[in-house]
Amino acid sequence: MAKIQEFAETIVSSSMRIEGELKSAGNIKIDGIVNGKVQTAQDLIIGPNAQIDADLIAGNATVAGAVKGNVMVKGALVILETGKIVGNVSCASLGIREGAYFSGACKMAEPKSPINASESN
Amino acid sequence: MYYYIVDPQKISQRHFDQVQNILYSSVSEYRISGETARVTGLRTINQLVETALARGVKTLVAVGTDETLHEVINAVKGREVIIGFIPLLRTELGEILGLGDIEHSAKTIGLRRVAELDLAQVNSNFFLSNLTFGALPAGPLSGLGYKTLKNLFGMPTFQIKFTADNNDFSATLSAVGGIVVNSRATGSESSQMFNPTDGVLDVVLLPKLNRFRTFRYRREILTGRFEAIPGSSLIHVRQMEITTPAGLPLRVDGKIVARTPAQISVLPQALKIIVGRDRKF
Repeated sequence: MAKIQEFAETIVSSSMRIEGELKSAGNIKIDGIVNGKVQTAQDLIIGPNAQIDADLIAGNATVAGAVKGNVMVKGALVILETGKIVGNVSCASLGIREGAYFSGACKMAEPKSPINASESN
Repeated sequence: MYYYIVDPQKISQRHFDQVQNILYSSVSEYRISGETARVTGLRTINQLVETALARGVKTLVAVGTDETLHEVINAVKGREVIIGFIPLLRTELGEILGLGDIEHSAKTIGLRRVAELDLAQVNSNFFLSNLTFGALPAGPLSGLGYKTLKNLFGMPTFQIKFTADNNDFSATLSAVGGIVVNSRATGSESSQMFNPTDGVLDVVLLPKLNRFRTFRYRREILTGRFEAIPGSSLIHVRQMEITTPAGLPLRVDGKIVARTPAQISVLPQALKIIVGRDRKF
């Protein structure tokens, strides 16, 4: 699983509210409110107090806050204990911690090595 | 041909005579001699720049402080000329551009390493370093004591509203102040930020801090690394319009250059300026 970097080049603090499309070439950390769309090719961190009503597109994402919208992640998506996603997700790898809430469809990329039916039995 | 605009502002007459001697010997040593004009109450930087450009000068050198360089840049108004800078004191722009004392700066001008830097614009004013508003004081923070910092960051917050990148998004937040950075001397964790060649402006909005947090993050405050203070917001824009609060003073080098509502934007690679090897970008 790709490691989510701590350092964020775009920070939306808890007192900030954004309406519209937030794009960044680097990591984004959101602790505030965003309505619209969030896009980065790098890592996206949604803090525990964040309220997102937006579609999210990212390289990797960690969700600890509330997200209402579709989440498209190229790499790893991790929903932490406090995380809540209402919407469809698409990712290469998915981690959901106990206590997290996820309501929607999940589409994942085909694994590189084919799943052997006999191994799973 | 070189044209030196010497601004003795902030320097005593006695010190200025010494400075002038060093300047003359340095420009002659590095073979960058030219005409020298001193700024006075009757000969403003604007007038001197016009005189120089009318004579077909190719390199204009601002000799003075960051304010002098900003005034020269504003007087040039985007016309085709290469700008040089000789800081007479230790200044932020001097540090950003990799310039040391007078002799070092003269040597750098002689080497003529010309860079094309982004120019930021607020309404009709240009700036190369940064623009501040709210709690951030006029002048450098580095000399301020804890008590002053506590008072500044304990000021009441106000609501800021702005739109960015031609209405791609709008933002609302409570803050005590903020800074719009085109370039800065202090490094960051990403070399792509606060860089005057990246074509974007980095906007840091500051939270109110209690006494404990002001003390805890005093180093970040004093070195201008505001983005490292928890609760700060950091965004990157090519253009923004601050609409609320109305009448908020916007400062460059501690001088009020505009009031909100104001348009702030970046003009990529709009400034040709001589830089040193130790520049910060």
